[in-house]
Amino acid sequence: MTITRRRLLQVGLLTLPGVAFAKGKPAPKEALLYIVWPQDGAVIKGAFWCRFGLRNMGVTHAGDNFQNSGHHHLLIDVDEPLNPDEPIPQDKSHLHFGAGQTEARIELPPGKHTLQLVLGDADHFPFVPPVISKKITVRIK
Amino acid sequence: MGLAMRGDIRDINSGKNAGTPDSGMPRRLAAIVAGDIAGYSRLMQLDEEGTHARVKRLERELIEPTIREHHGRLIKTTGDGFIAVFDSPVEAVRCSIVIQQNMIGRNTTQAKVQWIEYRIGVNLGDVIIETDDVFGEGVNVAARLEGLADPGEVFISGGIYEQIKHKIVCGYESLGDRKVKNITDPVRVYRVLPDPSAFKRRRTQKQGLAIVSLSLVVLVLAGGVLWYLTMQTRGPVARTASTSTPNAPRTDASRNGKSTVAKATDAKIRSAPVSEPAGQQQAKTPVAPIVPPATVAPAIAPAIVPQPVAPPLREPEMVPLPGGSFAMGSNEDASERPVHQVTVKRFAIGKYPASIREWNLCAAAKACGFTATGPDDAPVGNISWSDAKQFAAWLAETTGKPYRLPTEAEWEYAARGGTQTRFWWGDQLQPGAAHCKNCTQVANNEPPNKVGGFKPNPFGLYDMGGTVDQWVEDCFHRNYQGAPTDGTAWLEDGCTSHVLRSGSWRNDARYVRPSNRDGYDTNVRYPTHGFRIALTL
Repeated sequence: MTITRRRLLQVGLLTLPGVAFAKGKPAPKEALLYIVWPQDGAVIKGAFWCRFGLRNMGVTHAGDNFQNSGHHHLLIDVDEPLNPDEPIPQDKSHLHFGAGQTEARIELPPGKHTLQLVLGDADHFPFVPPVISKKITVRIK
Repeated sequence: MGLAMRGDIRDINSGKNAGTPDSGMPRRLAAIVAGDIAGYSRLMQLDEEGTHARVKRLERELIEPTIREHHGRLIKTTGDGFIAVFDSPVEAVRCSIVIQQNMIGRNTTQAKVQWIEYRIGVNLGDVIIETDDVFGEGVNVAARLEGLADPGEVFISGGIYEQIKHKIVCGYESLGDRKVKNITDPVRVYRVLPDPSAFKRRRTQKQGLAIVSLSLVVLVLAGGVLWYLTMQTRGPVARTASTSTPNAPRTDASRNGKSTVAKATDAKIRSAPVSEPAGQQQAKTPVAPIVPPATVAPAIAPAIVPQPVAPPLREPEMVPLPGGSFAMGSNEDASERPVHQVTVKRFAIGKYPASIREWNLCAAAKACGFTATGPDDAPVGNISWSDAKQFAAWLAETTGKPYRLPTEAEWEYAARGGTQTRFWWGDQLQPGAAHCKNCTQVANNEPPNKVGGFKPNPFGLYDMGGTVDQWVEDCFHRNYQGAPTDGTAWLEDGCTSHVLRSGSWRNDARYVRPSNRDGYDTNVRYPTHGFRIALTL
């Protein structure tokens, strides 16, 4: 229940700007994207494996145009809102997992960092409504 | 012992190796993945040709590439299944999970009767691998595990479990030792659950069911006693009731427990909207047309673009560069360390990134995967590393010249243009020096409409930084620890990500630096990714 509410809130925040122009594929309402590990607030020593969880949708390769499936993108320390009209950016804070990966080895400098998952469609656009995880904070020792 | 001695004696007598016939086929330890489609004959009965086509397509689009990506080898496909071997148990199980997760998505577009669901078994065993088959008890066990699994599930043996339990964070549910057909020793079986919380859910569900069934037993007993006390004449009936009913919930509970995962999957799929029919998907080309973010490319574009007879090939404009030595890398990002001295031989490199016009010549020759849309002079985008390699191979073959992708060292050497500063023009960002995000006073987040729109670097090369990301030959490594210093590409077999250079119009000024580098999945396309060709001199 709390998960649903949180997601709705995020969806609301995300879709506010320019919902009319969104180009992504439709996502089922009950899709749930979440970070299996680490947990919110975790204190981690060194590099770690980040595990991606997805329910009610499937993981596929980027470029594969199957309904209700997409691929993971991990956003590290990203504060600006996602633009639904553009492919999810590709840079050092927007990591792509277009080969269908469901986990990644992450190495971050010591300090506080945020992690958030976004599911992208075949062309890397966010889904409509966006399938996005709760943003978690971890501290690297 | 006796056998060995006889063998030895025969050896001496014949002078030939009279060993076992499989002496030429070394045995080796491998993780074997066996998969098959649940209810295949039912699907075939429904629609023989359609099912066959769908299964073949699955093998081509999902099974084969996924196995390859996880460094496995597809040994064979049977009508309804496949067998693959992996060196690594971790990769074998990951591959199985990817296949199962992908199938969930694919099935949502089908009516339930049409679902193709794989059952997968993974076992670690000592096997004999031939080019088109694999033999040994290890294979049989994998096949039996697969037979035990419910549709959509992955069952692994104890041997696999021991290897992966600390490496893949999944839930593992022990199903105890199982006796399997024609195998003497019982096999320890584990069910793989996609994430650990699923395991907890299953446990609590089971406990819940246990409590429910227990309270039912108590209730029925109490009811029975009450019944007995109030209606003593009908006692025997009450007694049979109280002994028979508790059985019902208990069997229910155990059956529920067993198939929770399958049910959870069912629920997922059932709740998803069913729309697009399968035929429509088949019609879609697997190659995506180039989609610059600001334009909407019609999905049918590649099909209707006329494919004229290839005009005489105009080769890309190349700039020959003398060999030289330079300090590669920087201290600005961990991936660029350590700074190391590299010497490159003379070579030539494209004056511009490859344009849509150049790319489409390759596409027209059917040597490149898709026809790009957009202005002819714009840099081609949505290129995977494999696409870029195809282009280079086609150009080399058509011209008979050693065209190729530049190595990472060559790219940085060319981009620096003899400078050692942060950017080729100095240490400070200059407005209008490159096409990147927030690099000019005027907000310009439009995709580039031509190559060479900005000033060239001291070597006369355009867009060496900004405009489009550019693939180079090298496999991606997190940093330069162990990198070659002779300007050659840093390669290894089967690497799954390669190096991108230059940054694009969607990256900020940090990405425009000549030392900036990033890695990206080898076979994945992205709108800002292009390339530049090189030539061995």
